[in-house]
Amino acid sequence: MIAKNSKTDLKRKELIGICKKAAARIPKGSVDQWEVFAARGIENDIEVFNGKIETLSFSDSTGIGIRIFKDHSIGYAYTAVLDENAIEDAIGKAIANSRITKKDPLNYLPTEKDYKYRKDKSNSSQLFNENFLKYTIDQKIGMIVELESMTKKADRRITGISDAMYNDGISEVCILNSNGFSGNYNSTIAMVYINAISRDGEDISTGDYFGIARDPAKMDLEEIAGNAARRSVSILGGKKIKSGKMDIMLDPMVAAQFMGVIASTLNADSVQKGKSLFKYKLGKKIFKIDIDIFDDGTLPDGLASKPFDGEGVIKGKTAVFEEGMLKTFLYDTYTARKDKTLSTGNASRASYRSTPSVGVSNFYISPGKHDRLDMIKLIDRGFYIMDIIGLGSGTNPISGQMSVGAKGLMIEKGSLTHPVKEVTIATDILSFLSGFKMLGNDLKFVPSGGYMGSPSVLIENIAISGI
Amino acid sequence: MIDNKLAIKILGILNSGGASFSEIYIQKRISNSIRLEDGKIENSNSGFDFGCGLRVWKGESTFYGYVDSIEKDRLIEAAKVLSAAGKSSGTGRILDPGSGLRPARSSYNISISKHPDKMAADSRKDILLNTNRICREYNSKIIQVTAAISDLEEEIYTANSYGNQSSQKVVKVFLSVNAVAGKGREIRTGYKSLARTAGYEVLNGGAVEYAAGEASRIAITMLDAVDAPTGALPVVIGPAFGGVIFHEACGHGLEADAVLKDATVFKDMTGKKIASDIVTAIDDSTLPYHWGSYKFDGEGIPSKKTTLIKDGILVNFIHDLRSSKKLNEEPTGNGRRQSYRHVPIPRMSNTYIAAGSSKKEDLIASVKKGIYAKEFAGGQVDPATGDFVFGISEGYLIENGKVGAPIKGATLIGNGPDILKKIEAVADDIDFAPGFCGKQGQSMANEVGQPTIKISGITVGGTGS
Repeated sequence: MIAKNSKTDLKRKELIGICKKAAARIPKGSVDQWEVFAARGIENDIEVFNGKIETLSFSDSTGIGIRIFKDHSIGYAYTAVLDENAIEDAIGKAIANSRITKKDPLNYLPTEKDYKYRKDKSNSSQLFNENFLKYTIDQKIGMIVELESMTKKADRRITGISDAMYNDGISEVCILNSNGFSGNYNSTIAMVYINAISRDGEDISTGDYFGIARDPAKMDLEEIAGNAARRSVSILGGKKIKSGKMDIMLDPMVAAQFMGVIASTLNADSVQKGKSLFKYKLGKKIFKIDIDIFDDGTLPDGLASKPFDGEGVIKGKTAVFEEGMLKTFLYDTYTARKDKTLSTGNASRASYRSTPSVGVSNFYISPGKHDRLDMIKLIDRGFYIMDIIGLGSGTNPISGQMSVGAKGLMIEKGSLTHPVKEVTIATDILSFLSGFKMLGNDLKFVPSGGYMGSPSVLIENIAISGI
Repeated sequence: MIDNKLAIKILGILNSGGASFSEIYIQKRISNSIRLEDGKIENSNSGFDFGCGLRVWKGESTFYGYVDSIEKDRLIEAAKVLSAAGKSSGTGRILDPGSGLRPARSSYNISISKHPDKMAADSRKDILLNTNRICREYNSKIIQVTAAISDLEEEIYTANSYGNQSSQKVVKVFLSVNAVAGKGREIRTGYKSLARTAGYEVLNGGAVEYAAGEASRIAITMLDAVDAPTGALPVVIGPAFGGVIFHEACGHGLEADAVLKDATVFKDMTGKKIASDIVTAIDDSTLPYHWGSYKFDGEGIPSKKTTLIKDGILVNFIHDLRSSKKLNEEPTGNGRRQSYRHVPIPRMSNTYIAAGSSKKEDLIASVKKGIYAKEFAGGQVDPATGDFVFGISEGYLIENGKVGAPIKGATLIGNGPDILKKIEAVADDIDFAPGFCGKQGQSMANEVGQPTIKISGITVGGTGS
């Protein structure tokens, strides 16, 4: 369905009703346990160019995924069409799929005995913002048009905007299972993204920035425009530098993206299958400094916060590293049973199209005390990295190798000097982490896999390749 | 899938609000995916998507909406909402229901012999178990194997207010093998995929054995890898997946939506020399059974072979309907969309550097100190600046004209316009490789290709000397 505007009637009961109707069709004699996952998303995407709407899309879409357990085997099927035939068909396929997957005595639905965390009443209320519903399409368009215009005016060298986007959504998730679990929650989210092109003579540069909030009113457009413009023009005239090892200072947005790679190696599933370099590192000191890293599914402003995970397990705050030491991996129910521990509520589910698997929520480095500029003052010769490219193709979370493109500013004798581009930084994950020397006080989150957060990070002795 | 009369009625509603163009896109997709890890089948999933995307143009703006259904009442209701969106700029052309819709023709016609829905329940499982066995038997140092198959069958219908209508059926099969090798605490990986716009017949004739063998060979070879060097060096790039360099360094910059936004370094370069004389590059969505091929694109335009660069001169951009109208160019049949939930945008299909006349051996022999990059993990580009990277997953040192030790994964970084001019030699051994390309949140099946080529100098992002 297409929503006329965001003042949509949410009919909260509807998803539970869909789940119950689907569940009623499951032939109980042919399955041991079942789970129905339903998700609805009401979304708006707006792209503007030169003050005009380029694309405006609306959607209101609901789908269900059916997971069945039979003789400790699991089968799954989803449908985006909710008529009786499509649901019957999905159930039939889920049962057929269970006949070809492995049998494992640990394959059964979660019960409260699997939970590491208990229900926290303060959670869930922050996910849905009532103000969101007051925003009309015209206000949303106005907001992104204004951001585009502000960014263009932020610096005379800005010559164009390649992307000016607003998107938002209301989402509702509902899980119903044969163990008696029934839960649902609603959330709102609004996001803006801007990418500014700047030119100076023959040289071209780009810089992007974004804003994310549960309530569109909470976005500081001026700050977003200023940051995009600064990130674009400050790298203008960048050049390669001579290859060698030096200290690097990661901007929080860059450091947070690296955290996404680190987080994926701390997933118990990878560890149990021999695909993580942290396999033998539990209880060991990985960082030389005292650093705490959390996965917190209950963080008040966290975009990945939820009352329960993709299989209905209560979410909580997990200290993954404490004082630089690896304390735990992240678990869903199955991997927790395998390690004889409890689920940390990290079964994640991208949509109703996929089965739950271990994933991160709000994963972040607890910030330090230092001011960013004070940290730069301590560096005799280094590279302040403002943006990276090729993280996906340049990092291998299994082998731990990392080599990515970087741009930013040269640091000489404690001052930022000239812009640098077309260079790479390369290391391996364990050396990278043990090189952490100092943390800033400027924690920033970016959506990168989960919702990843980091302050500025100073890292020792990293190989830079340029000329 | 939908009656042409109903389509005309919906197009009429869409255009009644002053649209200059309206379109219906209907897609039915039945999909299956199955994954093996730890020697066992971990998941077996099935999916069903069936819905309709509606699009209108008003002035400079595109308005889009979709429904997860093709029920008449819901389509009409959605069309009414969409036709009211945006500000009216006059009356659009309303099709005469009597004149009907013209079915589009395409020369792309292939036959499928083993449809996914004809596969016995256990046959996908058996392919994966076989893959696992081949990898494990390859070498005892293979400590983990992840293998997955996904398939889909689609029916797609488009109709637009120009009076054009298209119908097509699509079958795709994808196999991926990821082998992990371990020696002491060192872990290395090897990856190979096989993907075709075809049925399961593509997995016959040793294809599975080849993919499993290659993934294992790469993982084992990389166990002995040395640090990759740093600095600018000559690089010989292997065939097939090596084509990702052209895809990133140039291809994205030729997608014409970037031209409209003045966000590509190749804007205003048509007819000008942008690459060495020996470079001819092509986008061809008509290559039978290739992963990026189709009968019609996501806007009902027939697939086409388009020369992008001819002997170093830029001749064509990659267009969707909107960019071809705005720039007054012929459509190239590259308006692609991930599903009925997505707006079509200009996307590459099968994009490759055409074969030259040099020999691979001579290219390697000509390098005193450099890199031979054989397999890749993918890449990324900023089309506005042309700055790109791509990650080597299997590479070797070249010393005194001979391939030497394997090197640990390293990224190559460069600037598109600069690198195109540094292509010094093009060999005759063209090959293709499938992949997925992400752009504006839409993932598409793409193929890259090239023969072995030599770049005179590019920055290699290693840690060694």
